[in-house]
Amino acid sequence: MANLILRRLASALPVLLLVSLISFVLIWLVPGDAAAELAGPSASAEELAHIRADLGLDQPVWIQALHWYRNLLHGDLGQSLLLGRSVAAAILERLPVTLSLTGFALVITLLFGIGSGTIAALKRNSWIDQAVMMTALVGLSLPDFWLGLVAIYVFSVALGWFPTGGFVAFGDSPLGWLQTTTLPAVALALTQTGLLARMTRSSLLEVLGQDYIRTAWAKGLPGRIVILKHALLNIAVPVLTVLGISIGILFSGAVVIESVFAIPGVGRLIIDAVLRRDLPVIQGGVLIVGVFMVAVNIAVDLLYAAFDPRVRHEH
Amino acid sequence: MKRKIGCRWFGIASVGAVAILATSPPASAQQRGGDITVAQQAQPPSLDAMTTFAQAARNITMHVFETLYTRGETGAVIPELALDSSASPDQKTFTFHLRKGVKFHNGKEMTGADVKASLERYAEIGASAQLLAPVSGIDLPDPYTVVVHLNQPVPGFVDEISTPRAPMVIIPAEEAGKGPNKIALIGTGPYQFVDYKPDSYVKLKRFDDYVPNARFQGPDGFGGKKTPYFDTVTFRFMPESGARAAALQTGEVQALEQLAVTDADRLKADPNVKLYEMMPWAFQVFFLNANDGPTKNLKFRQAVNAALGNEEIMTIATDGLFRLTHGWQHPGTEYFAGDVGKDKYNLNNPELAKQLLKEAGYKGEPFTLVTDNSFKNDNDASVVASQQLQAVGINVKLQVADWPTTIATRQKPTGWNMFPIFIGIEPWEGPYSTTTFFTGKENWQQHPDEELEADAAKLNSSPALDDRKAAFAAFQKRLIDQVYAIKLGDLGIYQAARANVANYKPFRIPRMWDVWYK
Repeated sequence: MANLILRRLASALPVLLLVSLISFVLIWLVPGDAAAELAGPSASAEELAHIRADLGLDQPVWIQALHWYRNLLHGDLGQSLLLGRSVAAAILERLPVTLSLTGFALVITLLFGIGSGTIAALKRNSWIDQAVMMTALVGLSLPDFWLGLVAIYVFSVALGWFPTGGFVAFGDSPLGWLQTTTLPAVALALTQTGLLARMTRSSLLEVLGQDYIRTAWAKGLPGRIVILKHALLNIAVPVLTVLGISIGILFSGAVVIESVFAIPGVGRLIIDAVLRRDLPVIQGGVLIVGVFMVAVNIAVDLLYAAFDPRVRHEH
Repeated sequence: MKRKIGCRWFGIASVGAVAILATSPPASAQQRGGDITVAQQAQPPSLDAMTTFAQAARNITMHVFETLYTRGETGAVIPELALDSSASPDQKTFTFHLRKGVKFHNGKEMTGADVKASLERYAEIGASAQLLAPVSGIDLPDPYTVVVHLNQPVPGFVDEISTPRAPMVIIPAEEAGKGPNKIALIGTGPYQFVDYKPDSYVKLKRFDDYVPNARFQGPDGFGGKKTPYFDTVTFRFMPESGARAAALQTGEVQALEQLAVTDADRLKADPNVKLYEMMPWAFQVFFLNANDGPTKNLKFRQAVNAALGNEEIMTIATDGLFRLTHGWQHPGTEYFAGDVGKDKYNLNNPELAKQLLKEAGYKGEPFTLVTDNSFKNDNDASVVASQQLQAVGINVKLQVADWPTTIATRQKPTGWNMFPIFIGIEPWEGPYSTTTFFTGKENWQQHPDEELEADAAKLNSSPALDDRKAAFAAFQKRLIDQVYAIKLGDLGIYQAARANVANYKPFRIPRMWDVWYK
């Protein structure tokens, strides 16, 4: 297992380097810089040039890139051009927000995705199956941006059950956190819940037709043992695969939801940095997302090994 | 008998009085206290007021900082931290007398030393540092007098230093030595800085030792006699327009910097929300490139002008909140040039456009219209205009990009032919800022025009007001004749507040002084 982790980490380093290089190249190719943001819509070219010089943006991008990599070797992600603070501080302030939102969405996805997919499989071809799959399809099809706005109007404005936006940290108030993250987490989770439900249903149907399941029923085992212990454990690998992808999508999908609900997360930080050309934040953010995805992939591989003895013995 | 009649009439009068009192709205006396949250779309790129033109910053910093001179309700120049000023006959020396006893948020009294240090900082790192380029020295004959020496006559110097675009705010001298974004946010304004959480909010609290400007009866634009009533003011950043409107409806926020017209139409029926229309807010304009491609040809530019139907463009771009005016200063203001250029405004004449295209020898060369997707009105104006131009035979290439890309594109001398923009505070504050778009080496039309330069020079240097007005009128005529830019019209905005917010008056920022809860 330690070998697996070390091998994954070793292969992650060139991936992260490549990702950051691609990011620099893309920023180099795209016109514009952070001076436009400070200057506002109607600044003159002279005013823009002045701001550009103040920010050090009159240097070529490749020199800015060299400075960034040199600082990175010292563990310094640099200073944001527009936020007035270090990139590391900016990301660390926001990472817990996005992680808590994504985590909550993941719990919703797991519970309702696997739960509804299981029910649909067990009640195959019944009206329950049809209803669950139809709901999953609708969830897959609705854009989370639209869903977020509709949720605000229904649950915040009309019913007054939840605030329209903002974020309260769990440490400050667990109830406040629950109130401010429920709507965004549901809006974020709906698509992946639909996907997981459909995947769970089809994988479970395949497993339920296997001989060992028939044997388990024949032995008179209780239904919950058959389903939870024998059936669901055997669909763990495909479900984990979908989950690994879903986590990435949830993390990146948080960008839109964070904007709709005015949540100060990493997604919004990075997208704002791209739109405003805050180069150090873009690079730092891309690196952090890369590290996160590498960590998720390693975790998924470890869980494969945990659930599947064949994978465990292979490593 | 008399007594009975007297009693009856007294009874009727009493009942009447009670009825009148019961139905009359109670006078809304100012009430100190309470917290107010204002929602705005963007977070400020910087709170160092000198370094940025951004509206998102100005909304906040103009509550914290003040300037020597500022702008009143209609853009007139008024004293703020200065008592008065005088200029030497050669317009090269300006003397400012300061108000005494004005306190910074750290308790220190503002004196000439702070003014001098602040202006010197602005000359070095200010976003419009070039405005102070003529300054050759600043003397302090006494703690409350500042004498500014210029190396050339600048009759409009006080106008220029009163700009709220990237304001020349006065900060403590000990802060003025620090670089951009390194200062502690200490000003003399009615509210003081408390906290800034990026992507979330900026919080201010009432400055209880604020010294209002007693020379005024009440607030006037950015200045006047300002009285802070709220305990705290929080500016919350909410990117999504629908979410901001929803937050106002639920009362989570109590004021909006700006409300989309479509949301305003929906909220008009809500008794808990009051809408405030600001008209005009900005000019909606197309700038043309007189240096490249088909727009290098004056006849072609005239054809573009003739083809455009401003009413259709503005209706769609502004969701109906607009007015059609041709002038490059607002009607009713000092430099408004009357009907100059009106004969070339909103022609909406496709046949004339086709004729002009023929005279220009246009052979279908690409016409690149670069627009941004950050501002709905820019994007929509471009889409409608491109259709109108295609209808007369112009080969329009519509290029949509994000804001930094469009800025970078339009700064190049080639590669574009027209771009949209709305300009708000520049025309509002007077002709000087307006002329800077078209003059100097970095003019936006990519083509220096000697007549425009001469008119701008007269505007900047003529001591007599009538001469300056004539210079601007000539400038406007030349600008319109040469079609370096096409003004489509004035666009307005809605601001909004909860109905229990008393005395709110719409302005270029959501002002939280002289406003209170009923």
